[in-house]
Amino acid sequence: MIRTEKLTKVYNGKTAVDGLDLTVGEGEVFGFLGPNGAGKSTTILMLTGMIEPTGGRCLVDGIEVAKDPLAVKKIIGYLPEDVGFYGNMTGEQNLDYFARFYGMNARERKERITTLLELVHLDGVTQKAGEYSRGMKQRLGLAQALINDPKVLFLDEPTANLDPEGVREYRELVERLAGEGKTVFVSSHILSEVRAVCRTVGLLAKGRLVAQGTLGEVARALASPDGDAVRIVVETREHLPDIEDPDIIDIERNGNRAIVRAKADIRDRLAAALFTEGAHVREMRVEEPDIEDVFMAVYRR
Amino acid sequence: MALDRLFNVAKKEFSDHITSRRFVIILGLLLVISAIGMHSGIESYNTMLESYNQQLQYMQGAEFDGPAGWMPEKPSIMLIFSAMMTYMTTLGAVLALAIGFDLVSKEKETRSLKSLLSHPVYRDEIINGKALGGIAALGFAMVLALAISLAMLLVFSIIPTLEEFAAILIFGAVTLGFLLAYFAIALTMSTVSKESGNALIYTLVIFFAVSTILPTLGVMAGDVFAGDRPEPPQMAPMPTPSGRTVTATASGGYFTSSSSQTVVRVGMEDPEWQQYEEDMKAYTERRMLINDVSNLLSPQMNYVRASMAVTNPRIATMLSSPYSSIPEETPGLAEALSQVWMNIAALIVFPSAFFAAAYVKFMRMDIR
Repeated sequence: MIRTEKLTKVYNGKTAVDGLDLTVGEGEVFGFLGPNGAGKSTTILMLTGMIEPTGGRCLVDGIEVAKDPLAVKKIIGYLPEDVGFYGNMTGEQNLDYFARFYGMNARERKERITTLLELVHLDGVTQKAGEYSRGMKQRLGLAQALINDPKVLFLDEPTANLDPEGVREYRELVERLAGEGKTVFVSSHILSEVRAVCRTVGLLAKGRLVAQGTLGEVARALASPDGDAVRIVVETREHLPDIEDPDIIDIERNGNRAIVRAKADIRDRLAAALFTEGAHVREMRVEEPDIEDVFMAVYRR
Repeated sequence: MALDRLFNVAKKEFSDHITSRRFVIILGLLLVISAIGMHSGIESYNTMLESYNQQLQYMQGAEFDGPAGWMPEKPSIMLIFSAMMTYMTTLGAVLALAIGFDLVSKEKETRSLKSLLSHPVYRDEIINGKALGGIAALGFAMVLALAISLAMLLVFSIIPTLEEFAAILIFGAVTLGFLLAYFAIALTMSTVSKESGNALIYTLVIFFAVSTILPTLGVMAGDVFAGDRPEPPQMAPMPTPSGRTVTATASGGYFTSSSSQTVVRVGMEDPEWQQYEEDMKAYTERRMLINDVSNLLSPQMNYVRASMAVTNPRIATMLSSPYSSIPEETPGLAEALSQVWMNIAALIVFPSAFFAAAYVKFMRMDIR
């Protein structure tokens, strides 16, 4: 659904996005992680047709954004970071103004806006958008991003101004949208936020894609100096017997416990070998690297 | 560019303008002051009309020993609109600046521009829509001002002739051109600046530069580049002046633009004096040309010249050609306008240039 090919953006001689190759499948909830200044927002601006790339190209639903930004804008929704509205208009009036660009008639606009305001709990709010709190603006931002019932939703730091209740509702909303088959592209520097809603992630640092995949895959790829080595924690009732397997790299023993570093997840074979040796297995699990630590290390690079 | 999207933006901008407190207050003030000015103008007109009627009665009832064929001229109601011209040069300009200086910068500050651009609308549709909305708001203000003026004329039982009505409409169009010049400056500064505060300062700087500094510089340039002023013959007898002095003043609050031409006609018998008069004429024309060229960059001066051609064509004619003979009859509207075509063209070119600058800047603006 979303594809970038060698996507590059240079601002005043400084490369903000550097040859980004990224693919996000249809119906995926994708987390775009990276520290501040990594190039996440710039990438989103190019994907949403707000700015033109310096090099490479990006496609949304097969449409090249730079060539036909209007066609792309018709099928996407975008919640910018620090979203802004017309302060002299109510939330409903703001949404009505935006909805007019999609050729919706008055009845369609009215119905859609009523639904969306209920969805973001801003129904019945009569005050002008200029008097909204940041959280209310963020909720209205979500509503405006959904005004055209988009196929692809781009959310830039979506929970930045939300209170815990707002965050919970936002997560439910993303789940619901994912259930409807929409592709959701969430950009954030907050790992916990991405972890809560996204199935796949891409990690951006200094304009380059460092890793892409599930959180576990990305964390493992980044954490181990052996690349894809899997750490398996094993604990038996008895003293751990000797184990032999061609995929084992090494074993760290500590009494009844051991950490087996292997080239692949060999838990099935390991369990069978221990059973053959008559050992009673108390625990066997793949030790996921501490994701927070791994990402922090990348952020600090 | 799709018209529906353009009009969607323009409609919202127009609605924002006419409902904004800033616009309503300045427009209200402008209308009240214009109405007061119109009232005093109507009183002056009635006095002039009374005098005209008395002259007519006198000519019909008694032996008249004035120049043969001389007839008193009926005053034009356009003289009443001279007062409105004065107020438009200040309050009108302030209104135009007030609605334009934060049109784009405020959207950048509140980040609503980013939200707007995320929807299917091209940048040119946004900037053109903003310009169109502002033009419509100023047009609305102008129509309101003219409607009130016409209503006042009718209340005082003054009914314009067809030509006078056309002149009123042309006066309205010229005034709108003048207001658009300042609106275009404000819109451009708003597009260039990141913050509305800076946009306002830049706008005011340009406003003062083109309305006061530029005309002064024009006069100075005229003095410098027109060469030395010819000296009258030393030993020749003093001529008997038989000419005229024309003084036209257009003032608007803080700004007063005066133009004074003294033409001296002398006895044609002395060749030295003839030479002096020819030199003086050439010098004055050179000076006027330099002055006029520099004034073309000042919407204020162009407006004064163009609107004076509509409201007071006789004075306008004398100003544009001081060495020609005094017109016996007030020039027609078309003739008066033909003498100020460059000023009218400048009133079209000036805002167009600024709108073009705003357009180019907006299209290339960095949205982050």
